[in-house]
Amino acid sequence: MARASRRGRGKKKNMTPLIVGGLLLLVVLLAGMLFFKPSARSSSSPKPFNIAQYRQDGSRFASTGNRYVLEGKVDSIESHGNNRLIAVSMSNNRNERLPLLLLGTTKLQINITRGDTFIFDVSCRTGRDASGNEVKGILVVNDVTTK
Amino acid sequence: MKALHILPLIPLVLGAAVAQMPNSFDASGRSTQAQSGVTNDDPNRVGETPPPQIFGMELPLLDPSNDTMSYGGGKFDIGNNALVRERFEKYLSQAPDDTEQSRLYRKNLEEILRYTQRYTKRSDTIGSKTLVKIGTGLYDLSAYPGDGGQAGALASAIVSALDVQRANRRRDNANAELDKEIDKLISKTNTLTNQNTQKGSRSSKTGRGGGGSGYTSHTYLIAANTSKIAEKKAKQGANEASSQASLPIAKVNYQAVVVGLLLQRRYDHAVIGARVYRHVFKDGNTRVDLDKESDAYKMFTGISGMPPTINTIDTMASNARREVDQSIDAVYGALAQNKLGEATNRLITAVATGEYMQSVATFPAKERQRIAEYWRLRKRALTSLNARDYATVEQIATEMKKMDVDFDDSLLLTHTTGKKRQSDFALRAAQKALREGNEEEFKRLATEAAIIWPRNPNLDKGEKEIARLDSYEPQKEEFRVLYDRKDFRTIYKERERFEVVAFDPELKKKYTEVIEHVGRIDAMLAELKSVAEQDRTIGPSAAYEKLYEMKEADSRYAEDKPFMDEFNRYASEAHDFVTALRDAADAASRSEYGSALSCYYRARCFFPKSNLANKGIKTVTQVIVDAQY
Repeated sequence: MARASRRGRGKKKNMTPLIVGGLLLLVVLLAGMLFFKPSARSSSSPKPFNIAQYRQDGSRFASTGNRYVLEGKVDSIESHGNNRLIAVSMSNNRNERLPLLLLGTTKLQINITRGDTFIFDVSCRTGRDASGNEVKGILVVNDVTTK
Repeated sequence: MKALHILPLIPLVLGAAVAQMPNSFDASGRSTQAQSGVTNDDPNRVGETPPPQIFGMELPLLDPSNDTMSYGGGKFDIGNNALVRERFEKYLSQAPDDTEQSRLYRKNLEEILRYTQRYTKRSDTIGSKTLVKIGTGLYDLSAYPGDGGQAGALASAIVSALDVQRANRRRDNANAELDKEIDKLISKTNTLTNQNTQKGSRSSKTGRGGGGSGYTSHTYLIAANTSKIAEKKAKQGANEASSQASLPIAKVNYQAVVVGLLLQRRYDHAVIGARVYRHVFKDGNTRVDLDKESDAYKMFTGISGMPPTINTIDTMASNARREVDQSIDAVYGALAQNKLGEATNRLITAVATGEYMQSVATFPAKERQRIAEYWRLRKRALTSLNARDYATVEQIATEMKKMDVDFDDSLLLTHTTGKKRQSDFALRAAQKALREGNEEEFKRLATEAAIIWPRNPNLDKGEKEIARLDSYEPQKEEFRVLYDRKDFRTIYKERERFEVVAFDPELKKKYTEVIEHVGRIDAMLAELKSVAEQDRTIGPSAAYEKLYEMKEADSRYAEDKPFMDEFNRYASEAHDFVTALRDAADAASRSEYGSALSCYYRARCFFPKSNLANKGIKTVTQVIVDAQY
């Protein structure tokens, strides 16, 4: 009886840590997924952009459908055919310039002018050159809004 | 004035015509007189009357205004005339002629001069006894060694002339006696002729024949007298002829002695001879009989413009005596004012003009010593100038300036400075030629520098260069080894030692290449250092990029240690810029063109004018915009 009773109490005690441990593990997993895989976010909600990481390895940002929101001042605009390449200086780091590609197919509601600050909605894509080689980690502008 | 200066120089010319020529020449053939500022090609000589000549030799003309003498188409400093110089130096080395014997000699000479002067003033005629007394006095003078027998010669001339005069007088007396005898004979002959006439008329009246014997006797006597008269007249004629012949000869002999005394600067003797002349030859004709075509005649007429006379000689000799005394007075005056140059020139003139004059002969030893010292310096200056020892010339000029307040050293110093610079310029050009590997030009210019200034101290360097030329084979071999090892820096450091290899055309090219290459590196490093120090923000990035580009363009730069040291230092100082460029290149190699462009942008932020960054931006941008998305 006593033995059964000890078994019964022991069973009750062992279940609680397991449940807590499971919950903690779940939280850690969720946090890890958030940290290591930003592209896993939903495309419907733009995320902040880490330019230092981008300089190291831009293609990491290139998962399909990932969008990022950047605030920056237009430093230069170069037109190449219908496309335009915009160099944007980041508001938090004046020694950085981020290249953004504005494709001719993208329709904007505003004019982008040099020296003005805008909020850019971009996605990271990989293109192909004429030989079929990859052109990785290119930030393509989806939309632009004024600040 | 000029004429008086010519006279003393006449015997100098006669004695040693060769010595009148310039005694030394420089390498170009010009005389040293020309170097000492007296030129042979004086343009002022155009239109000048050429100097007179005697016995086929040109007489030197002394120009007192600048102490130069015209001779042989050139103008010479009388202080630099070989013969004058020799005589003057001899004079300076002699003790003053002031012995008891010499004083007595000059006293007696002065006495004879005064004696002749007295008669000259009174215009009296000197009797033969007086003339004999003068002659005896002159003979006594000739015993003095310093006279050189000149008084004796004059005395002999006087005595000879008197002898001729006496002989003529004897012949005149004999002719007078002959005249008397002839008169007597004529008278007797006339008497006999009259008697003959009377006898002839008596015998014809009486008709007696046989009177032939008396007639015959008178006729013979008359014939004998006539013959005697003819003989005596012939004797008279012979006497007159002898007198007429001996007188001109005596005159010529006498005149020759007097002219000779003048030419030998024995002015006292010449004056005595000239003044005694008119008492010896009383015909009143004092003209000196010289051949009109002779050089001596031309000389006298050239000087005075008149035919030569005994009075001309008297005047010339008297003036010369006065001039000499004035020159000696000027010497004393100049010495008192410490004007050694002026004193020396005046004494030269006095010695050349009247070496045997009392004022010159008794010039004090102490004063001679002062002038001798100055003369020695002047002579050394000329010798050094002739030897082109310009440093010594300058030293002497300084000494002369101390001794002579009037000495103008500017001409000498200007000349020497010019020559020294000319030599140095030639040496510099020689060194340049050596550096350029032009050995022939180097030797030519070095030789030219040595000719201009043989004792140029910089010539030693040239000698060393020449010595190196003779032993540069080891350097050539060492150069080859270093060049093959590409140890350009060592060659550059010892470039002066390896300069000799440039004589080899093949090595010259390599040598020039090395020197230019390392020189360019050093120049660039120095310039970049300055740039980096001026702007610490951008400077190191700019310096790094420049060195990077050089290194990429020419791999030899990477083999130069100082170059690489600086390159690494700038890479460290411009770490962010360099990292951005490297990251850009790395990303581009991985086809991460977005990252690459971003890195290039970052690099351009550190160095906005970066060629590397801009070039990368351009290239990557093109790739990005050309791609399909």
